Amino acid sequence: MKHSDVLVIIPCYNEEANIQKVIQRLIDTCPDVDYLVVNDCSTDRSEAILQENHFNYVTLPVNLGIGGGVQTGYRYARDNGYKIAVQMDGDGQHSPDYLESVIAPVRSGELDQCIGSRFLEKEGFQSSPLRRFGIRFLSTLIYLLSGVKVHDVTSGFRATGPELTAFFADNYAADYPEPEAIMTATLAGFKIGEAPVIMNERLGGISSIRSFKSAYYMIKVSLALVIDRMSCHRKGGSHA
Amino acid sequence: MSAVNQFVFILIGLCILLCVLALLKKDVLSVKYSLLWLLCGSGLLLIAVFPYIIYVIRDIFDMVMPSNVVFMILFGFVLLLLLSHSIAVTELSHKSKRQTQSIALLEKRVRELEAQLHNKDHEA
Repeated sequence: MKHSDVLVIIPCYNEEANIQKVIQRLIDTCPDVDYLVVNDCSTDRSEAILQENHFNYVTLPVNLGIGGGVQTGYRYARDNGYKIAVQMDGDGQHSPDYLESVIAPVRSGELDQCIGSRFLEKEGFQSSPLRRFGIRFLSTLIYLLSGVKVHDVTSGFRATGPELTAFFADNYAADYPEPEAIMTATLAGFKIGEAPVIMNERLGGISSIRSFKSAYYMIKVSLALVIDRMSCHRKGGSHA
Repeated sequence: MSAVNQFVFILIGLCILLCVLALLKKDVLSVKYSLLWLLCGSGLLLIAVFPYIIYVIRDIFDMVMPSNVVFMILFGFVLLLLLSHSIAVTELSHKSKRQTQSIALLEKRVRELEAQLHNKDHEA
């Protein structure tokens, strides 16, 4: 049931160790926002935990990956008329204490999307040097291709205004969507910026991007960004 | 090309065409995906009936064996068919993603409505 105009979308895949703590903390810290857990066909007890605690959740009948899961949340936000949709990881990396600072620029209309960045004030969990290098590379690539400077391009802590939420409900990248979403939204004319947040190391479970997959991740995302740029150019040309 | 050779090629071409037509008739294969196969079968049949085409292509590409031209053409068809399958898979995965999301959202609404009904029954 809708109580607020803010919806926090929490993607959850095999997070039985964290999900209850994460949601309880969200409810305690921000009792006046709504949330939706998107259980991406978890194979562990995640769904049972969500059910027992009467959390607000949807369960995907087949596993779609983070992109398809989060998009379900954006569709829910659009269909239920939420003004602001906030994406927040289900593993405890993102603290609800910073929810308001991520939402504020979107609420004021200054930005269409505000990304919680751990690199603006360089405090808290900063990830490994190799990952930081990868993130810097993607950040530079996005800057070169679209002209928007985002430091923490892989951050999954982001608030989105109503128009962009509707856009994401129909267009959202599939596999590793975070950097690509910045690109597609910018190219579609939306304004994206960042707010400083402090992130924690994940409470338990494993990250969706593991080390042996990193090379594949970098190549796939870089290629996707370049292709987004190319296809946008063509669309732009036909409209002009 | 010997007469036996030509006969075998005509047979293969006819086989492909008849198989595709039979599958179409049984509604196992949709017209959309049969087009490339029909093109492949009729191309092969055309070459088998008029082998002269192969010799012309061989001279244009300066290839030694006419049979290599046949292999090249067949391989080209295979690549084209594989690509068309990748396109079809992409399209299907996009559709199934949208459906999965819709089912999940509907399932949530049904679950909530059931809970509401359940509560009403208890009150009554």
